[in-house]
Amino acid sequence: MSETTRDQVQQSNGKIETSHHPEADSRRSDKNYYGIPPIKHAHWTWQIPVYFWIGGIGAGVHLFSTIAQILGHKDEALIRTSRYTVLGTMILSPVLLIWDLGRPERFYNMLRVLKLRSPMSTQSWSVFAFGNLSGLITARQAADDGLLGDDNPLVRLVKLIPARFLTILAMPVGLNVGSNTGNLISATSVPLWARNWLFMGPTFLASGLSTALSWLSLVLHLTRSGEEKTLHTLHRAEKATIVIEAGLIAASLIRMSKWSKPLFSREVAPLFVGGTLIGGILAPMALLFGKESRPKSILASVLALAGGLAFRFAIIKGGRISADDPEAYFTFASGESAPQPEDKV
Amino acid sequence: MATGFLTDTTVCIGCKACEVACKQWNQLPADGYELTGDSYDNTRQLSGSTWRHVAFIENPKKRRLTGDVDLVALAEDVTEPLPGGAELDALGRWAFMSDVCKHCVEAPCQQACPTGAIIRNEFDNVYIQPDVCNGCGYCVPACPYGVITQVPHDGRAFKCTLCYDRQRDGLEPACAKACPTNSIMFGEVEELKTIAEERVQELHDKGYSQAYVYGTPEVGGTGGIGGNHSKFILMDEPETYNLPRHPYLPQEKVKGGTIASMVAGAVLGAVVALAFRD
Repeated sequence: MSETTRDQVQQSNGKIETSHHPEADSRRSDKNYYGIPPIKHAHWTWQIPVYFWIGGIGAGVHLFSTIAQILGHKDEALIRTSRYTVLGTMILSPVLLIWDLGRPERFYNMLRVLKLRSPMSTQSWSVFAFGNLSGLITARQAADDGLLGDDNPLVRLVKLIPARFLTILAMPVGLNVGSNTGNLISATSVPLWARNWLFMGPTFLASGLSTALSWLSLVLHLTRSGEEKTLHTLHRAEKATIVIEAGLIAASLIRMSKWSKPLFSREVAPLFVGGTLIGGILAPMALLFGKESRPKSILASVLALAGGLAFRFAIIKGGRISADDPEAYFTFASGESAPQPEDKV
Repeated sequence: MATGFLTDTTVCIGCKACEVACKQWNQLPADGYELTGDSYDNTRQLSGSTWRHVAFIENPKKRRLTGDVDLVALAEDVTEPLPGGAELDALGRWAFMSDVCKHCVEAPCQQACPTGAIIRNEFDNVYIQPDVCNGCGYCVPACPYGVITQVPHDGRAFKCTLCYDRQRDGLEPACAKACPTNSIMFGEVEELKTIAEERVQELHDKGYSQAYVYGTPEVGGTGGIGGNHSKFILMDEPETYNLPRHPYLPQEKVKGGTIASMVAGAVLGAVVALAFRD
């Protein structure tokens, strides 16, 4: 017995430490049951946050271009960029999602049933529907652009596609792709995500729109193809959206209260505080609210896009830390703080 | 007919026969031979390849044992004041608890499953169909008890099947069969509920007022998910056994979140439309 241990024993009135129980053994700092997490974190790897980001861009781009078309704003470059972008995101999304499955060859089981209570199920169906609609719309665009050749039967067939009608039809589906990702993570037992069920979907949608507007603005600026009116509208929309996004993130943090701690941990803070709050919101905001200019717009777009990606990673990584923390889960699942069945919106 | 478990932790001796029987019958892979230092618990937790887990909880003595103590009285069911002010538990108590899938009445994993792989079978047990599961892993963070995980190299999610194959042949699950002290009881949920209530009453009568049933909508606080088909008789706070006090159904909030998202979509659409105005 070492000197220190003997001192401890004497101080504790002859009580000899024989136990490894955390509460009795001062040498152990773990709480509850040996600090073993009572719930399991999601195994999701990088594909999922990247999908959240890409899917959000697709949803936001579609929202913007649809409203432009409804309002009769005819900018060929905008419509073309939007349609190809949405198709691109909807080709990449399923690839990323299937990649992350434990049994990728069974991906089609996702379309085996439709469960409105399971955001993963509605998400799969939305990506499926949005992707197919986007494929049809973009086929029409490709035919109009002459990519399918000149007058041949295929072109004549594709030109029958009612692109404008399908665009409007796809809008609610696309919006679901953008917001449902937030609802998907909040319908779990992870305190950081579940606590924020009210604002998670809206925050993801706003962030998706913000990155989408930045993407459009970036592409149109770099290719110097957008009309002056389009670029100006994008600029104004970007300003408004980034303010809404900032407000929703603030509301989320208030809602998460003490369970938001993982976002400020050493591992996630660079992504959340540095990448999202400063790099993805404050910096683009400062650039956007100054005098409008091409280089500043490009820089703001790049920052907002990177910030959106950092935000997705921060939320997923923060959720992992939150799930691994017994203290967080037990305080969350011990009464008033947990969402109760009788809670209303 | 709904079947389930009742695990009476007060008679568990921590022999781990249930863990071994489960692994053998269900042909589950080994988890390695690690010494954790967490008492004699080298299994640590439930997972896709561990469907029974015996927790070892050391409750050390709170007070020093003094005076002329009748050790025979200590070992028996005696709670009256002992000589020297010693308490029955003054020697320290070792609690064991064989944890298992709770087979929730409103199972969050089942509601989360997008493929319909997780079903309720004819015994009203929550069952993962291995031929349908595509390993999306969404049931893993949905489970409020951390029961399910994905098995590496297989990719699919697994958990206790309540020995569906044995039940089909009229046998009780392997863990219940192997349990030497009948700490693990298998049967109809309603019957087990009566047994649990009687046992808790018996414990209360002997002076163990802290005994209670975990896993009913009334006691143990599993109101959000409608109770469990795997119930436990516990003697301490749920957190001591790594169990949540008030687990809830995560999917309760899907509707609210969707409505909030619709509102957000409308607002953002309006903002974009306004941006087009000169």
